[in-house]
Amino acid sequence: MESVLLGIGVTALAGALATVAGAAEDTESNIGSQGDPNSQVQLAPQMGYIHRIYNKAVSGEPPAYGLWVTISAGVAWAFMITGMNPVLAIVIASALAVFVQGVYATTAYLGRTASLSKFEQPVYIDVIKSVTTVTMAHAFVAIFTTVAMCYLLVAALGHPFPLPLLGIVWGIALGAAGSATGNPFYGKERQYQTQNFGAGVPISASGNIVRYAEAGQRSSLDNGWFTAKLGGPASGVCFGLIVFLELWRTVLFESVAGGWGAIIAGVVIILIFMIIDRYIEVWARKNYGPYVKAEEASA
Amino acid sequence: MTAIAAKPSASEGINPVASVIGIVIIIAAVAIAAVFANFALAALIGVIIGGLLIGFGVHFVPVGGAPAAMGQSPGIATGVAMLAAGAGLAGLFGGAWAAANPAFGIAIVIAAGAIGGGLLMAVTCLMVNIVYIFGMGIPAASGKVAKDPITGDSQAEYKSQGTEGHGLPFISYVGGVIGGMLGGAGGTLIYYELLQVYAAKLPELFSATAADVLPVAVSLAGIFAVGMFLMNAVLAAYNITGTIEGPHDPKFKRFPRAVIGCAVASAVAGLFAVLIVVV
Repeated sequence: MESVLLGIGVTALAGALATVAGAAEDTESNIGSQGDPNSQVQLAPQMGYIHRIYNKAVSGEPPAYGLWVTISAGVAWAFMITGMNPVLAIVIASALAVFVQGVYATTAYLGRTASLSKFEQPVYIDVIKSVTTVTMAHAFVAIFTTVAMCYLLVAALGHPFPLPLLGIVWGIALGAAGSATGNPFYGKERQYQTQNFGAGVPISASGNIVRYAEAGQRSSLDNGWFTAKLGGPASGVCFGLIVFLELWRTVLFESVAGGWGAIIAGVVIILIFMIIDRYIEVWARKNYGPYVKAEEASA
Repeated sequence: MTAIAAKPSASEGINPVASVIGIVIIIAAVAIAAVFANFALAALIGVIIGGLLIGFGVHFVPVGGAPAAMGQSPGIATGVAMLAAGAGLAGLFGGAWAAANPAFGIAIVIAAGAIGGGLLMAVTCLMVNIVYIFGMGIPAASGKVAKDPITGDSQAEYKSQGTEGHGLPFISYVGGVIGGMLGGAGGTLIYYELLQVYAAKLPELFSATAADVLPVAVSLAGIFAVGMFLMNAVLAAYNITGTIEGPHDPKFKRFPRAVIGCAVASAVAGLFAVLIVVV
């Protein structure tokens, strides 16, 4: 019983760490414009819209986060083998991984922006200085919390994978969950605020991103401020729920029905999520209604 | 004929010559394993089945890429390979955990992997719809079918003008969960089969006890499973080319090509994975 209680406590802590990781990951990728909507940032100068948005997407978020989390997990693992305190090891390893992220961010921004020089898109040195450090700070939070979570899975819950391998698994899963959930809010609601709320962006509006903030030109720091209000927390809840429910059902039900208990619990959880999804889908159709032409709406 | 006009016909159907070559490669890989590593023959077949499960599963995952992030097309706003890999690896995490328990047989291990992958997709798909509906005020609508094949909901009138649809209609949600489950099961099967081979062969290779080499066996099998997962997911993503809404999307019919391709790639990669313990 005591081990189950400890397992539930560790599960809650791991879920909380994952929630923070998801929120920081999405905000970092929005500040760096690394998620899928980055194609619009890359496209804008070609359509004649010069901007001050950072653009560091070379690969997607999942492989990038897979790399950074794995570097941190691997270095932390090596430090721990030498006898270093685990907390100190994870902090130092995360700081080292963040320098890799910083180099990646700088070279990616310079490379991608320089490729647009024929469309007269300048490289802003002040944008590099101000935005890179902020993405690094958010990346540190995301990497540290993910590696700390992985360490809990190994040390307290006894998962058979070594720490660096768990880093690959959860780093890629973190990027996948964050980019899936947070990207629409950044892409549609932030980059295309001139478009109507409650409608998708017409394909003809591609590249016409919003470039001006309340005071002067918008920079990527404004994007972080905006998306931290919904896209970031939603990504955090998404990743936190994945980690928490995956651990919770295993810790609590693995010994039930010869191992099938955790699987049945998983099926029940999936069905509950499916029902909630169907409910909100129907709710949206009822409350928003079908699209009508503008003149019909005003008549 | 222009290249644009030639594209759709060239991208559908199975190329018979390439398929025969692929099947010959699979048979050759199995034959080499039968001669040089007979003990791992069943494991190699398991790896091939795992690979094609992943390739098939990726076709179920609704992915909209960058257009989905603007509400221009339905699906999840990320890349096919990346999302499928995320789901499959979460499944592998659960499957590996179950495999560490000696009391559990292969059925429980594979089921644990499948549910892990399905759970990630269930949570992610729900959060995607929550952001679309409550963050952007957009209901789910498919651009590929007039009615949702499961619920019968009509789609066209809920679609914004100038877009191909947005959000995740219910059929896409269900497809995502099925894709995650197939991916998780396939990745776990690869891991489980390789783990059996390594756990049996590494002790005599290193002249050490089984308990001492178990962490090495787990790590090796895990690395190969992750690698083969990414390999199969990327192969299937190339077959899909861009976006797919789920099982109702016309692109879904392309899956037989990916299944053959993934089986060939898994056979060759699996052969190397088992041969590393043959001295």
